Parts: sequence; structure tokens; C-alpha cells
Amino acid sequence: MSFREKSAWVTLIAIIFVSVLYVLHVPRVFEPTHWAFVAMMMSVASFVVIEVVGWLVLRLRNPAEARTPKDELEKLIELKALRIAAYVYFVGSFAAVFITLHLHHGVGGHVVGASVLLVFIVAEIVNYTARIVYYRRHS
Amino acid sequence: MTKIVITNEIRRLRFEHREMTQQDLAEKIGVSRQTVNAIEAGKYWPSLEVAFRVADVFGRRVDEVFTFEKGGRK
Repeated sequence: MSFREKSAWVTLIAIIFVSVLYVLHVPRVFEPTHWAFVAMMMSVASFVVIEVVGWLVLRLRNPAEARTPKDELEKLIELKALRIAAYVYFVGSFAAVFITLHLHHGVGGHVVGASVLLVFIVAEIVNYTARIVYYRRHS
Repeated sequence: MTKIVITNEIRRLRFEHREMTQQDLAEKIGVSRQTVNAIEAGKYWPSLEVAFRVADVFGRRVDEVFTFEKGGRK
């Protein structure tokens, strides 16, 4: 497994882990509270910590590979995965805004924001899953 | 449009060059070992730049390393 693939695994696991924790601990999305904001900031901080620690561990275990710049196949894989994720984000954002504004009248801006954030997280999961699939396909 | 299949002689050429490893070749042409493996296995067709670099490492012309065959219609 290449350094880039391992990095993609670390990021994917970090996103899923932090998102699940956030959703489990902040179930009342329809009520914007101080606690929800603090939990979100803590989730973002946790994600950054997991990402940095994971990256450092991978870098220490694969120093030569980590120093090597991305080659053409790795760049191509990133672009292909990003394209799929962009479709998900584009379509998902419109769907999220439409659903929250037209099907649930009277919801606040924070619900629209939360649904778009959820779509962004799903798009990122799709992005890193697609990368891993492409890396596997080319290995 | 006629479909083409690109094959390569990298594995044989590596063997003929003192059993050069994929890692050695990767370092010489500036890509990862996984990319060399993908090219060798025919899972990825490299850019012209990388193709020329591979040919240069083995002291061959590009068409001696990479060959294409016309297949059926797309």
C-alpha cells in the first residue's frame, strides 16, 4: 500500500469517526445551542489532531515516500476522485437547500447550514473512498 | 474509432538490465513504485514524458518499449 493510499485511509477514517461522534452527541440539529457550536469546534479540532498525528506516523514510517512529490498517476487519481465528489457536493447542496427550505417551512438558517455541511462531509467521504478505490484498482 | 491496446516490454527490459527493481526504475524516472507497477501491468498508460524517460533508462526508442495493437471498434 502506497503512502498516498495510507494517507487517504487516515483521512477517511478521521472524517467518519469525527462525524459519527458529532452526530451521536449533537442530536438536536433543529435547536442551535451554544453546546452545538462548541461540539462542532471540538469535532473540527479532533479531526485536525487525528489527521496530523496520522500523517506524522505515516511520514516517520515511510520517510522516503513522504518526501517524494505526487507523480502523474497520483495527481490523476486525485482529480478523478475530486470530480466525483464535486458532483455529489453540487447536487447534494441544491437538494439539501431545496428540502430544508421548501419541505420544512419555518426552519432557520442554521438548519440549511447544517444540511449543507452534512452534504460536504458526505462529499469528502466519497472523495477519499474514490481515491482508495482508484489506488486499489491501479495497484 | 478503432480501439488500440498498448503493451510494453518493461518487465523484460528490467530483467535484462541486471534485474532492475521497480523501485530503482521508479526513482530513475521520478514516479512512485506503484505507478511503475501499474504501467508494467498495463493498468495505466503513462504520459509521453514518462514514456520517453522509461525508454531513456533502458537506452531504447519509445516504440521499442511501448507498442500498440489495433483492436476492435470502440
